[in-house]
Amino acid sequence: MYLYLPVALTSINALMPVGLGFAVGLLSGLFGVGGGFLMTPLLIMLGIPATVAAATDSNQIVAASTSGTYAHWKLGNVDFKMGLYLLAGSLLGGALGVQLIKLLKAMGNADFVIQITYVVMLGGVGGYMFFESLSQIRKNKQASGKTVEAPAGDSAMKKFLASLPMQTEFSRSGVTHSTLIPVILGAFVGILAAIMGVGGGFLMVPVMVYMLRMPMHAVVGTSLFLVLFTCIEVTFLQAYTNHTVDFILAVLLLGGSVVGAQIGTIFGRKLKGEQLKILLAVIVLAVTVKMVFDLTLTPHLLLAQGGGH
Amino acid sequence: MRYATPHTIIVRGLMTFALAGLVLLPWRAGAEADGPATGAVTVKLTTRANHDHIDINTFYHGSTVSVQGDCAPDTDLVIKISAAEGETSLKQKGKVGGLLWMNVGDLHFSRVPGLYLLKSSGNIEEVVAPEEASRYVLGYDALKRHLGVEPAADAAERAEIVGQFIQYNEENKLFARQTGGIEFKNENGKRTYYTLFDWPYQAKPGDYVVDVYAVKDGRVVDTARAPVKVEQAGTVKYLAAMAKNNGALYGILSIVVALASGFGAGAIFRKQGGAH
Repeated sequence: MYLYLPVALTSINALMPVGLGFAVGLLSGLFGVGGGFLMTPLLIMLGIPATVAAATDSNQIVAASTSGTYAHWKLGNVDFKMGLYLLAGSLLGGALGVQLIKLLKAMGNADFVIQITYVVMLGGVGGYMFFESLSQIRKNKQASGKTVEAPAGDSAMKKFLASLPMQTEFSRSGVTHSTLIPVILGAFVGILAAIMGVGGGFLMVPVMVYMLRMPMHAVVGTSLFLVLFTCIEVTFLQAYTNHTVDFILAVLLLGGSVVGAQIGTIFGRKLKGEQLKILLAVIVLAVTVKMVFDLTLTPHLLLAQGGGH
Repeated sequence: MRYATPHTIIVRGLMTFALAGLVLLPWRAGAEADGPATGAVTVKLTTRANHDHIDINTFYHGSTVSVQGDCAPDTDLVIKISAAEGETSLKQKGKVGGLLWMNVGDLHFSRVPGLYLLKSSGNIEEVVAPEEASRYVLGYDALKRHLGVEPAADAAERAEIVGQFIQYNEENKLFARQTGGIEFKNENGKRTYYTLFDWPYQAKPGDYVVDVYAVKDGRVVDTARAPVKVEQAGTVKYLAAMAKNNGALYGILSIVVALASGFGAGAIFRKQGGAH
């Protein structure tokens, strides 16, 4: 069944966005990412203009992350306190990032910086998560039956973090940090997300796992909670200033993604933290490889529409 | 793509306009038989499209437009469907540091028809003389000369970019050309023509024109024109207007629907015992 999209000004087989929404919704429920880094290029491949693809995807993520946050909240996986500190930081960072983009554009090399940042961040995050979780899985196998040893190293870092003022306990995640830490890390992710034009879920997840030392399942729930707020803001701004949100396309996408997010959450409960991390790492690395190919292989056409990542 | 300028297609004085009201009539047998002043053509060229109005509704997936009319016996026909010309910008990809393909700048195209569908009874480059082709923008060679592009360092670069631009639009189904595909019939000593165009769903709402050119010895000897209007209707029209004119409400509505769906799915799965 074909439907006409009033803002994208094109017609699409309704099953495609529903299926795509379901697949990306699964990833949201499993890993706590919005999945914009997958969805936006796929929508462009289906013939949706790049600007409409990005804006409509954020509308869809509002639905998927609501569904996912709700499911994870029922499982006790959402650390609202941590989420709010990170959110405050990332809103601040987002505003800074937008100014930085303006500066880069004025300097004339924005596209280069954006694309390189994107590839390096995706590759770096994916690679680190992949090897870290691989070694963790190996360790767990060796240590099966024995007590799990505390992670070694970085004790200087720990001492430094503990010496910061405004220490507070995040009971849901079972960690204690200075209030400043999530705000600063949130700002860092917010700056990068604004530069790359993405929601930043794939950056927020490793930040929470490796820097805030939160357990993986709490990370997924809390990340979805954050993604929800960022995408509400982005959807409104896109609809209000750029008129690029396609309501029909969003409804098709979210019809699939809200169900996907629920099923993803159920699946996620059956997997261990390391298994979740390594799966996410593989997906992020696959996207990196695709981007590297796009950057190095001679394109079929030397013309492209603007507005994509 | 914006349609900034009104029609700039040159219209000859002798041309006849097909009337919108003729749509419902069957094949028009008694068309005007008076030849133009040149005397070379004895039958006046006429044209009409099967519908002059295409509604874009919720289930729209493109359409077809048939074009038919009378024509002189010894002429070739060129049929062009086009839209008002406008401007468009695209990113140009280039190699950075000899290794990476990236967007290296913006290209601005002008005098771009929003749609360019062309059919000719014979090979367009052989049937129409080059200067006539340029005058009426008939064929890709003429279109390439007609399009404006900025910046292009020299003729070679311009040719490369314009060629790519046509390919880009062909892939988006907005440009197409075909040799043949026009049926001719001789009935009661009268020659008639008929052809069917696939109307791409990618063609945006707006005003389009069907131009028919009768060509003899490389010259355009007669022309006829019929309009086609493409308009959004029903829910599509309502949503498009709301997105454009009432962005804040539209944004809030989109967010509310998304939030409600998310909670709705959560509630349904809870009832089904999906989570404990």
